[in-house]
Amino acid sequence: METKPGIEGKEKGWEPRVLAFLCRWCSYAGADLTGSSRISYPPNVRILRIPCSGRADPLFILKALRSGMDGILVSGCHPGDCHYTAGNYNARRKFALLSRLLEYVGIDPRRVQFSWVSASEGDKFAKVVRGVVADVQALGPNGLFRFLDPDEKVKEPANSHQ
Amino acid sequence: MPDRVQDELIAMATKLFDEGKVDYFLGYKKGTLKFKTSPLIASHREELQQLWVEDFFAVNLSLYLKEIKGRVGILVKGCDSRSLISLLQEGQIKREDLYIVGLPCPGQIDPRKVADAAACEREELEEISRRGGEILVRVGSQEKTVSKNQTLLDKCLDCQHPKPLIFDYLLPGDYVAPVQQIIRSQDELRQKPGLERWAFWAEQFQRCIRCYACRNVCPACICPRCIVEENMPQWVSPLPTAGDNFVFHLMRLMHIAGTCVSCGECERVCPMEIPLMKLNDKMADDLRELFDFVAGVDLNKPLPFRTYRQEDPNDFIK
Repeated sequence: METKPGIEGKEKGWEPRVLAFLCRWCSYAGADLTGSSRISYPPNVRILRIPCSGRADPLFILKALRSGMDGILVSGCHPGDCHYTAGNYNARRKFALLSRLLEYVGIDPRRVQFSWVSASEGDKFAKVVRGVVADVQALGPNGLFRFLDPDEKVKEPANSHQ
Repeated sequence: MPDRVQDELIAMATKLFDEGKVDYFLGYKKGTLKFKTSPLIASHREELQQLWVEDFFAVNLSLYLKEIKGRVGILVKGCDSRSLISLLQEGQIKREDLYIVGLPCPGQIDPRKVADAAACEREELEEISRRGGEILVRVGSQEKTVSKNQTLLDKCLDCQHPKPLIFDYLLPGDYVAPVQQIIRSQDELRQKPGLERWAFWAEQFQRCIRCYACRNVCPACICPRCIVEENMPQWVSPLPTAGDNFVFHLMRLMHIAGTCVSCGECERVCPMEIPLMKLNDKMADDLRELFDFVAGVDLNKPLPFRTYRQEDPNDFIK
């Protein structure tokens, strides 16, 4: 069997798919503002609204990686601004550990990124998404598990727009 | 280990039953195989005669506490006492229900390693005894001396807490300073580039057969129903594919973060010999660096994910 993680060799016409977990109180509203301010950002990002960045269970991130998402972004309120007082502080501790562990097992930290984006930072949201998509574009497709389970095909989400 | 420790333990435990202080006593009994000990869960004072003190304790007895209802007397070594502290921090057990009998630990012997060091099969070992800092092994009519470094369980080699950190009664006995300083951060895997690390772990995760021995033996795994057995929604497929094994192992690691005391049980019971302690050690180092937290040492310190500080690391977030 091939012993190289299949994150090289971009397929023809491949575009990265990035899953973004956005806190409903700030980053989700921030993404909304990006749109209403007519700031363009890469369409590669799929947004999933969560009640708080503290809701982003590490399991969600692992499951997304396992399901073949090329990049993951978790975004919440700036420290001190949490609607639930401390949700983002608690989240920050989990993310700090998770990103170190993912790096240790050999997953590039650029695949899983975190940001603080407030509801008034539409331009920052666009900048963050551009950054994540550019990073993932450079890394190539998430072939982590295709290399492990050669028979397994990464399924396209049913509503993926082509 | 001297018999007097065993006699004292039996007398002690009997007294606990007689005074009505405990409903159960958790200790070790002689195993069915040579150089093996089994856990003993005694509910009557007569059973206490089976209590056995040896150099081959591997199982972490605090594991059974979550299943026993009532007041329990428990025998702990230094490392097991750290598990107790973790369980107390988690609110899983009540201090007033416990009577902790501490056993100063001179390091536990791994018969597999003894056999390797004495260059024989495990079945050929006749007797293993301690003499000063060395281990005396009798194979047939021959006697061999092997060093402690070669024969102790891996986790005992750099043990920082041979003396229990929490106890109501301390048995007499010797405990020793770590025989060897292993600097875990010098684990050569950590120096390798990312792709090689993934190649290594991918191979390890691929071998996992998902027997869940690591989870079942883990004193820190306390969920009554494990997420891998949920099927509505199904987070992790029960099929042992490498991808789901990756999710399972990383998830388990995140769940036991802060309560894993590196007791090494998961790695010891793994039938596929996956080096799980590499992950646990990395996590312990990260928790120390990030949050200045060492699991199972200070009962009054909150668990790392039960608290936060405003000045926690923030530089990895955009």
